[in-house]
Amino acid sequence: MSRLLPLITSSDVAVRDQSLDAVCAHLSAADLLAEAAALDAFRRASDNLYARVRALLFLHAIHRFHLPVRLATHTTTAAIPFSGYENLLQRRFEEAIDVFLTSQQTAGPSDAISSALAAAYHRLAFQTLADQVRRSVRSVRGNQWMFRMGHPADHPLRIRPELLERDSASGTYPILRERTPVRMDLTHCGWSDIFFLGMDYPEGAKVLNVSIDLAVYGGDAAPRPPVEASFRVIDEPVLRLTSVDLGCTAEISSLNEVFDFAKDYLGLLKAAVIASGLVPPGIEGSGQSLGDLLAEVVGPGRGIELVSNVNNIPKGSRLAVSTNLLAALISACMRATNQARSLTGGLAESERRIVLARALLGEWLGGSGGGWQDSGGVWPGIKLIEGALAMEGDPEFGISRGRLMPSHRLLDVNEVPVAARKRLQDSLVLVHGGMAQNVGPILEMVTEKYLLRCDKEWQARQQTHGILQRILEALKTGDIQALGAATSENFQQPIQTIIPWASNLYTETLITKVRAEFGADFWGFWMLGGMAGGGMGFIFAPQRMHEGRRRLLEIMTETKRTLECALPFAMAPVVYDFSINERGTWSDLLVGAEALMPAGYYSLSIPPLLRLPRNQLAAHHLTELNHFAVACRSHPHLSGAVEALFDSILPGGPVESANEESLALLLDEFGFDPETHEQIRADLKVGRLGLAQNRLPANAVIEDVLAGDLFDATQPASLPASLHQIGLNALCAGEVAVVTLAAGAGSRWTQGAGVVKALHPFCKLGGRHRSFIETHLAKSRQLNRLVGTPLPHVFTTSYFSHAATERFLADHGNYGYQGPLLLSVGKSIGLRLIPTVRDLRFAWEEMPQQMLDVQQQKVRDSLRSALLQWAQTHGEAGDYTANLAAQCLHPVGHWYEIPNLLRNGTLAKLLEQRPQLQHLVMHNIDTVGMTVDPALLGQHIASGAGLTFEVITRRLEDRGGGLARVDGRLRLVEGLAMPREQDEFNLSYYNSNTCWIHIDQLLATFKLSRADLNDLEKVNRAIRKVAARMPTYITLKEVKKRWGRGQEDVFPVCQFEKLWVDMSSHSGLDTRYIAVPRARGQQLKDQAQLDGWLRDGSAAHLESLCEWT
Amino acid sequence: MKIRKAIITAAGKNQRALPLQMLVDRDGVPKSALTILAEEITGAGIEEIAVIISPGTEKSYMASAGPYAREMQFIVQPKPLGYGHAIHCAAEFTGNEGFLLMMGDHLHISQTGKSCAQQLIETARSGNCAVSAVQATHERMLPYYGCVGGHRVPGHERLYEVEAVIEKPTPTEAEQKLVVPGLRAGRYLCFFGLHVLTPAIMKILGRHLAAPPVAGNTGLSSALAELLLSERYLAHELEGSRHDIGQRYGLLNAQLALALIGKDRDEVLTQLIELLAQSKA
Repeated sequence: MSRLLPLITSSDVAVRDQSLDAVCAHLSAADLLAEAAALDAFRRASDNLYARVRALLFLHAIHRFHLPVRLATHTTTAAIPFSGYENLLQRRFEEAIDVFLTSQQTAGPSDAISSALAAAYHRLAFQTLADQVRRSVRSVRGNQWMFRMGHPADHPLRIRPELLERDSASGTYPILRERTPVRMDLTHCGWSDIFFLGMDYPEGAKVLNVSIDLAVYGGDAAPRPPVEASFRVIDEPVLRLTSVDLGCTAEISSLNEVFDFAKDYLGLLKAAVIASGLVPPGIEGSGQSLGDLLAEVVGPGRGIELVSNVNNIPKGSRLAVSTNLLAALISACMRATNQARSLTGGLAESERRIVLARALLGEWLGGSGGGWQDSGGVWPGIKLIEGALAMEGDPEFGISRGRLMPSHRLLDVNEVPVAARKRLQDSLVLVHGGMAQNVGPILEMVTEKYLLRCDKEWQARQQTHGILQRILEALKTGDIQALGAATSENFQQPIQTIIPWASNLYTETLITKVRAEFGADFWGFWMLGGMAGGGMGFIFAPQRMHEGRRRLLEIMTETKRTLECALPFAMAPVVYDFSINERGTWSDLLVGAEALMPAGYYSLSIPPLLRLPRNQLAAHHLTELNHFAVACRSHPHLSGAVEALFDSILPGGPVESANEESLALLLDEFGFDPETHEQIRADLKVGRLGLAQNRLPANAVIEDVLAGDLFDATQPASLPASLHQIGLNALCAGEVAVVTLAAGAGSRWTQGAGVVKALHPFCKLGGRHRSFIETHLAKSRQLNRLVGTPLPHVFTTSYFSHAATERFLADHGNYGYQGPLLLSVGKSIGLRLIPTVRDLRFAWEEMPQQMLDVQQQKVRDSLRSALLQWAQTHGEAGDYTANLAAQCLHPVGHWYEIPNLLRNGTLAKLLEQRPQLQHLVMHNIDTVGMTVDPALLGQHIASGAGLTFEVITRRLEDRGGGLARVDGRLRLVEGLAMPREQDEFNLSYYNSNTCWIHIDQLLATFKLSRADLNDLEKVNRAIRKVAARMPTYITLKEVKKRWGRGQEDVFPVCQFEKLWVDMSSHSGLDTRYIAVPRARGQQLKDQAQLDGWLRDGSAAHLESLCEWT
Repeated sequence: MKIRKAIITAAGKNQRALPLQMLVDRDGVPKSALTILAEEITGAGIEEIAVIISPGTEKSYMASAGPYAREMQFIVQPKPLGYGHAIHCAAEFTGNEGFLLMMGDHLHISQTGKSCAQQLIETARSGNCAVSAVQATHERMLPYYGCVGGHRVPGHERLYEVEAVIEKPTPTEAEQKLVVPGLRAGRYLCFFGLHVLTPAIMKILGRHLAAPPVAGNTGLSSALAELLLSERYLAHELEGSRHDIGQRYGLLNAQLALALIGKDRDEVLTQLIELLAQSKA
């Protein structure tokens, strides 16, 4: 009898709401395997969507958190079948699960197979949920017909006649202008606006959503609706789309282009055109003509122009700007085609709901996704948005408990009096902190924890309901101080209990500073949206609100300055003026002289017309030019438009040249080698170097290690005490130093945002946020107390991280570290190159790729074809310089880090201070569980090895090479060098990149002695000689280019690297290997790993190794 | 409900000459469309017919009415103020009686022994309420027709209790308000150009016409939407086809449909096949 199935199937809520973790805590490995088998059989047979999803997430949790702990007591190495991995990449999750289960049955349970099963169950669960949401979006009444329409002759929409009436004086068509507020969310009740939650737990899905107008404090005059859409008929059979805020315009003449979302910055407008039914989704791929379709809707020879504009609001504001812009665009298109009863003014409730449904559809089409409250700006004022139970007749009935679309209840002035609304506006300061954020992983974590009913999180979720009631009550009575207390409590307690990563050091520093300065007049903090750091609210006593607004801008700016090297910021902080919008989305018909587009539009549309000779201008072009000419002389709306037009025509330049100068300086300062650079460029161009050339020869035989190839230290308790003693003696004698590789930008950690990963305050440990550097020092501090001799600690740095690391350590007094602490500054640097099309194609077409969900994959394919075009037009293997200088440079791989110690005098200095120094232990900044373990040091010393690499048993996520026998010879092989992808899957051990180094043996390899370290020329020669024997890998890295207001583009750029693992194949060095426990060797590469890392006990293990100051 | 009277509307701007078009009926006899309509109406037991016409067309209508001129009276709609107004011009004619309403540019061809008008009148009599003839129509045609939503009357396969009426709905609105269980996806019950209405409709139309003009409030559909709030109102999916002779090739289609159910079927089919054989692709 299964003990877990009742948690899914019981009709008793108390049983169903039990925590999975609590029940699993008492089960043995055998019990868990039996439960897993029962759950797997159940989910295959069940026809209930949410029962299936819960079973899948239970299975994920068992394999990710519960089984590994029980299996850790005996080391089992088992290969993960490559065919299962391939199925995972192809999103054939069911087949992947079958392959992994078969392997588990034949080879027995193992940590490796459990990791693969955990991943497969997790992805299948979320795929199932996403599929259901999409099905629901399609099946919403009012959306269905658009998927049936496949031919222009079937198009049932017609343009409203008012939009076809030209003005007799100016000859212009009228413009339909839709203006929409954005929304702020007073409490999201624990992210309860996630669709999955609303559809399974409608009773718990509640938000207080307020429509607001905005102005940038100190910039704009008065708050106004931040987003607007303009629609008009044009005399060309094309779709002309313009995004004024993104400075992008395109004339689309084929249906395929409409569905090409990532080709340019017009994806949102295209999604609106499709979701509004103008170009219904059903016509995609039909091969029909856009001209024919427009002829049906607008008339022969005519087309449509759609323009979007965002008034100075940055991306990532957590005010749902893009969703409300999408809603505004959809609304305008719907009104124009008779799908709303009124052409102007507000919308009826049923129309708002269909705009919401269409916005959901548009977000799905564009491959993005928001919460169900995000289109809240379409509604007026303050509203309570709640999940709704699916009833008979709803498309969701019988499938999910809740409906896809929530219900909106407007709180009128009887419920929230005018005075209370004013008080809220008089106390609340809305800001954008400037941080770039990726909320996606957080939303998955929330869903998972909800479905698992994790104990603390479930309690916290219940707590949010009470807080919402308090906020509602405070609003009704106008008690803003109570409201501030409630939003603060919400942030400090339930929100962070559910997701600790919702907060960060930046936010907490701001709160602390504001509290210190304003004391009792600071009434509360409030997190907007998915996580803090971007959109936030600070509530002040009204008499100090203005001061608060002014000071917050200063406090944020100054705090950002101190933290911007450690945390990803997308833009300068902004403070807003805001007012509650009591109308919701609103439309006007602009006729005659008033028929003007947003002012910025003309800087985009007029210059191309001015470049044409007059005789090539069509009549409608002349009409447009005349209209503009008259309006910019007389209409206040276009004051300043002429200057803006000139700016757009005349060349600028000082910014670019400044960037070039700083790039040249950095290259010079950090040891750029132009000769090598040109050689690499030439090799790339002719194909001597490239992703395909990274690989070992195809005939290389890659085999797994044999018994006896490595020392097993996975069970620390069973290691001989003698080894521990040897290590301890060496430590006491001061024979060891730590070298932490801290030069990197953590590309995966912040998706190429360019922060110093070592300084990133990644987790709250010991009661507050700690950076990687502080954590490593805390571990060494504990060891120092144990052995009595302070451990020298070296952090390697680069052009990019040196100054910031130096400043951080100085600001924090070396985090109180008593031992020697040195920075080893990088002396090698590379300049990134535009990748070759060959390498891009290899990376995207030849290498195994995680396929995305259908619509997201379409968007990705479209983006990739745009990037291929970019590489071609900007010159393959050309220098990448079109970004901030620091984003154009790259570190040249960690092989150089140890030679840098020789080159920059750090080793010489260490040896001078500690002549007895014999060993270095080098490790990655993100190998947080690593310590200078006496027993492992003892093993390294006892073996007499020159290098001892630490490896861990492989899990599915451990990609990038491993320990192998290559043509019979034991060595570490980098993932890039694997001749075939599947070779890696036969390897049991993964390289943790922690390496113990015998100093003198290493120097001997370089043909150097300790005395030679003062001869820089000799050192350089020696390094160059060994470097020449190390393979050069070409890699593609993603870098962000920031522009506009918080906009970011990600480009794949090419760089080269030499890697330390290749020292394992150096013939002159005695290299050994130790298998260590996972908690010691695992690396934190991705922020999405953090939650699992916290839950599986790794964080607690780390805490036990640290001594904080 | 007693139904003795019928109204044929023929005053529309593009509609005026259509009832005067000549066709060959199923018996091979050339007749005007107006005569064919009158035949159907009188065959269904109607005693009096009013034809709503535009000014100056009375003579030609009279000439085209053939043997039915006696049962007909011609009412002039002085100004083209919409379909609702045209119907209301016959308010005096219908008085306090129910009536059959037909459009002068629509011909109906029944697939049973009973004409379409007869089928509809029988339904109205047995239900004692207003009934509109409807046809399941693909959503691409929605911009052209009034449309009803509702549910099937239990035990009657082709009869619907009407719950909503919207003139020329968008598919978005139709999907939200006019979906009828049992119909194929993307199909809606659109008007067939044939109604049996109660006297209440004239009162509603009168009220609408007297009120300040509101968009979408001058047609029959808005009056029917109001009617169903106070009276039972049914829709009948007739066993027959509707032919709008005002559409492109509409007259040709109607003629072919008539011929293919008539005595000259073989002859017409033969001619069609010959035409096909001779025509080049």
